Amino acid sequence: MDDTKKRAWWQAPWGYKESFAFVGGLSLVGILLQLTTGNFNFMILEFPVGLIALLLVLVLTGLMVIRHRSSFFGWFSGVPMSVTIIAGVLFFTLIMGLVPQHGEGHSHAHSPLGFDTVTRSWPFVLLYAVLVLNLSMVTARRLLAFRWRDYAFYLNHLGLLILLIAAGIGAADLRRYVMHVTEGQTEWRVFSDQGDMLELPLAIHLKDFYMEEYIPKLAIIDKQSGEAIPAGKPQMWQIDTVKTTGSIVDWKLEVVDYIHEAVRNSDSTYRHVPMPGSCPAVLVKVSNPAVGFERTAWVCGGNFAQLYMTIELNDHLNLVMTRPEPKLYRSDVIVYTQSEKTIPALIEVNKPLQVENWYVYQYSYDSDLGKASTTSSFELVYDPWLPWVYIGLWMFIAGSVLLIWEGNKKAKLKKDDHLG
Amino acid sequence: MITWDSFLYFALPAMVLWAASVLVLYGRKKKSAAVSGSNGDGSVKVLTDKQFSVLSAWLTLAGVAVFGVFIALMWISMERPPMRTMGETRLWYTFFLSAIGLVMYLKWKHHWILSFSLVVASVFIIINIAKPEIQSKDLMPALQSIWFVPHVISYILSYAFLSAATIAAIILLYQKDLADRSLVRLLDNVVYIGFGLLMVGLLLGAVWAKEAWGHYWSWDPKETWAFITAAGYLIFIHLRLRETKIHRLTLWIVIFSFVLLMITWKGVNYLPAAQGSIHVYSNE
Repeated sequence: MDDTKKRAWWQAPWGYKESFAFVGGLSLVGILLQLTTGNFNFMILEFPVGLIALLLVLVLTGLMVIRHRSSFFGWFSGVPMSVTIIAGVLFFTLIMGLVPQHGEGHSHAHSPLGFDTVTRSWPFVLLYAVLVLNLSMVTARRLLAFRWRDYAFYLNHLGLLILLIAAGIGAADLRRYVMHVTEGQTEWRVFSDQGDMLELPLAIHLKDFYMEEYIPKLAIIDKQSGEAIPAGKPQMWQIDTVKTTGSIVDWKLEVVDYIHEAVRNSDSTYRHVPMPGSCPAVLVKVSNPAVGFERTAWVCGGNFAQLYMTIELNDHLNLVMTRPEPKLYRSDVIVYTQSEKTIPALIEVNKPLQVENWYVYQYSYDSDLGKASTTSSFELVYDPWLPWVYIGLWMFIAGSVLLIWEGNKKAKLKKDDHLG
Repeated sequence: MITWDSFLYFALPAMVLWAASVLVLYGRKKKSAAVSGSNGDGSVKVLTDKQFSVLSAWLTLAGVAVFGVFIALMWISMERPPMRTMGETRLWYTFFLSAIGLVMYLKWKHHWILSFSLVVASVFIIINIAKPEIQSKDLMPALQSIWFVPHVISYILSYAFLSAATIAAIILLYQKDLADRSLVRLLDNVVYIGFGLLMVGLLLGAVWAKEAWGHYWSWDPKETWAFITAAGYLIFIHLRLRETKIHRLTLWIVIFSFVLLMITWKGVNYLPAAQGSIHVYSNE
């Protein structure tokens, strides 16, 4: 970077000094805008303004293509500019990584410089925009001198460019809502962040909410504090019907019987009943030879319908069952669209349903009722730019795989030369 | 019916084969040096350098095959892909780390990448043997995804390459005139590979996030730091395009980026900005 010393400021060809001045100046402008007008309002990029912004990038890139021999465009689409812009973006994301961030419309956002809302702050948005512009010009410049052997370059740069544009402008058109539906009902209304009720172009009818739970664990708790022992480093023993013996500290445990969907039969017995109000129960033999303790009894975690059951070990300790964790939850639904489509579907975590430009996700359920829940919540995400995001993502992934496979071609060529 | 009870009968032979592979890899240098010293005409019945490499690769492959058979048998006996518990996920880590480590070794001829992959693959085996309770420790629904394993494997391998790059950068900084050309070339190459792996991990994470959390990028603290790290390495890669002789500052950027990588990996959990991160559970 010291090579530029011989040159006066702003004397052609421009290099790092001028790039730093440009990026620094742009950040300063951004900070001034931030101080005077507050956060950048992404909603102004809502359709069709986003398309106009995209058109602007393309026109400026076209201008560069026409005047690609000009020293200004040579500088603006050159390596020093790219490096400096990336460094600028790195600087502001570093702030984002260090200062706790606040979500949209959060009342606690108070940094006048926008440091607690970096993605919506003017300096970041401006740098993001010039990054897109620079990347677009770099890619166009390389396409001007098209060579097949540059395929990795095109995949990486074009992929990233498409991704940055679709994600940036897409942020303005993105909509996310949570919809709560009760079994047997059809719902099409949601609440916005501002608390207004909105009607969506698709409706969900919930036929059934289904849930499976994992086999719970056993723990020994202190009756006074309710904390599991040993204090600070609690031991949980996973109930296992194959490997039936285990221990917690010096208490030996042995599973005699386990019922995953159990209902209390009498004061001291359980039986298998597959119904929403059932819960896991285990018949366990617990012993401690050191104190001559041995007892076999049922332990049950309980739920909204059934009482819990524990084994008292001594004056201080109880053997208890933990709450079973969810293994799978799934909603059996019918989705209706405005275009009069009727789509039956099973929606679960990691398996969303796509309807036109909407994605429907399994979001939550009534956790107090667990598998007896009769309501299911869905997150509905509308993202018309998503197909472009995927194109960019997969191009970039292909480009990255090529980086892994081919390494640095320049470095390899030199090696071959040396060997030759 | 095969269960976790048979794990040892597959895991131990695999580890023995891999240990033999690493021994052959590092033992050969001494031997071939001794041979060429004592007898120049090559008539001594000791394997050549090349044959040692081939033997090492075959031993690794045999270990991968033994381990692969265990996964296949588990899959058949459980009638579902073994991908639902922590222990089952570790099976895939071991399998892919050893297999990809072998491919990377054959491609780039770096001994450290093969031995690193095999050691880390064995560590996952040892965890499964030493802590059998995690074999049945369940994954929460969001983690039950085909993107989980490739996401993690890419990162583990990228850490290996980027660590190697950092070591190369530190060695170069100790040299007065930064003159070791072959080390600079190694650095350039290894950063490309490591960065490619880093991006594959990050981008597959984005694909997964869309399926599990509803959006491909949420600027979660872990995502933010992964972005920062990528930017650091991007600066290095682009600076190198116009450099003939590597600058000290450029070398410092490699080290700086590695610090960022470590923050992304572990440090994030300790930052005030990470309170409420959706990624934290994965480190339990």
